[in-house]
Amino acid sequence: MNKPKKTLGTSTTLSINPEQGRRIEFKKPVSTSELDQNFKSLVLLYPDAQGLNACFSCGTCSAGCPIHEVFPEYNPKKLAKMVRLGMKKQVLSSPYIWYCATCHNCEQRCPQNVKFFNILNVLKNMAAKEGYAPAAWVEQTRQVIETGIVFPTEDNWVKKREGFLLPPLKEDHQKLKKIIKSTSIDKVKPRVNSE
Amino acid sequence: MNKYALFLGCTTPTKVLQYELASRWVCKYFGIELIDIEDFVCCGINQVNLSIETGLLMATMNLAFAEARELDILTLCAACTGALAETIEKLNDTITRNRINEKLRTVGLEYKGKVKVKHISRVLYEDIGVEKIKREVKKDLSSLRVVPHYGCHYLKPKSAFGGFEEPDNPKTLHELISATGAHLVEYETLGLCCGGKVFPVSEDLVDSLVQKKLNDLMGKEIDAMVLQCQTCYLMYSDRQKEVNKEYNKQYNLPVLLYPQLLGLALGADSVKDLGLGLHIISPDKIIAKVAAYK
Repeated sequence: MNKPKKTLGTSTTLSINPEQGRRIEFKKPVSTSELDQNFKSLVLLYPDAQGLNACFSCGTCSAGCPIHEVFPEYNPKKLAKMVRLGMKKQVLSSPYIWYCATCHNCEQRCPQNVKFFNILNVLKNMAAKEGYAPAAWVEQTRQVIETGIVFPTEDNWVKKREGFLLPPLKEDHQKLKKIIKSTSIDKVKPRVNSE
Repeated sequence: MNKYALFLGCTTPTKVLQYELASRWVCKYFGIELIDIEDFVCCGINQVNLSIETGLLMATMNLAFAEARELDILTLCAACTGALAETIEKLNDTITRNRINEKLRTVGLEYKGKVKVKHISRVLYEDIGVEKIKREVKKDLSSLRVVPHYGCHYLKPKSAFGGFEEPDNPKTLHELISATGAHLVEYETLGLCCGGKVFPVSEDLVDSLVQKKLNDLMGKEIDAMVLQCQTCYLMYSDRQKEVNKEYNKQYNLPVLLYPQLLGLALGADSVKDLGLGLHIISPDKIIAKVAAYK
């Protein structure tokens, strides 16, 4: 089957060869000196990451994950394990953590009630702080601050709305602009692709 | 009298106007009053990627706007529904609520915790009911073979919807479609996600998911996929062109938003009321089938 390339943002390209089966993500064994023993504790500081310790790596999350099925490198079970082992750099710099489609199957089916979806968001937040955020999400946030929605105002739909007698959309949301900065999301810098 | 604040979200009012049009028409038909609140902003679901706190703040801000007008929220987008409902769940925690409110107070807002969020399909299901819908149907849709697609955030996380649906075995959209008289066709990949939330990061991942569902529907003589979220709509409808190119297929499956199907059954004008002229994949065959019935 003709499998497409998977892209992250606009410039990183990951080639997939389905014949290869499941590739090993990190070919060199990780030595204990590379592990960050505090990583798990840092993750658990976020209320949304509670439950991580209850994971017993059964893999139900990965088995029910639609993304894992088409792109095996995205592997919830493996990511949860990597966090618990302290593989901070490998997890936060991994492009795969951004591939979740947010379908919630993982948490819906987890026998331990671990909310992997929420844990992954914590990992993404931490990765964003370290400069690994995909440009697409950074740009979307900038857009939201500007117009209140994720899209810029375009004549095309403004005119269509008028044509159908639909109310105009307000563009300038001062309250949002003012409080959104309290979360420092506007400080997040997009990832610099080195691959 | 049913009265809701209409939460349009970002995508429906800009890219899928037909969903807004049909929803407004159907609500008016059933006496559901929709109040437009111009202060509403993006629900914050995508901002969660970079900052959970920002997502929480944006969702709560929207809840506060509705609460100030003593209104519950009616949503169209499944993802907005999920984001707002999840936020309500998180705000049950007093520490979280106080922290968010502290920020909201700097712009004169506060959320006390009174707002309920319901997707339009849930409003139709619970406030109007399938029996009432059946009684109102004016056109015979029995020659239409359709498949439902729910949208992940309409169903999950289950806890945020108070047991409204069984995510792995949902039924409301099935029943709502049946009420219009259209013929439901079962299919295997019902629960498969459209991938819409990963679209900004990888279009190829979306295409591979979309292709799987479309492939499953091939050969089943389906007239339309019926769904209830504009993001799912854009993935399954507007991506077909790219999927055809990428996977060497000739999919040409019309996709309808549920209020459009319901509107057709209720006798609405397909172009003016339901925006069926705005579709990339022509629904003309569906319109012709419905028009054939006098």
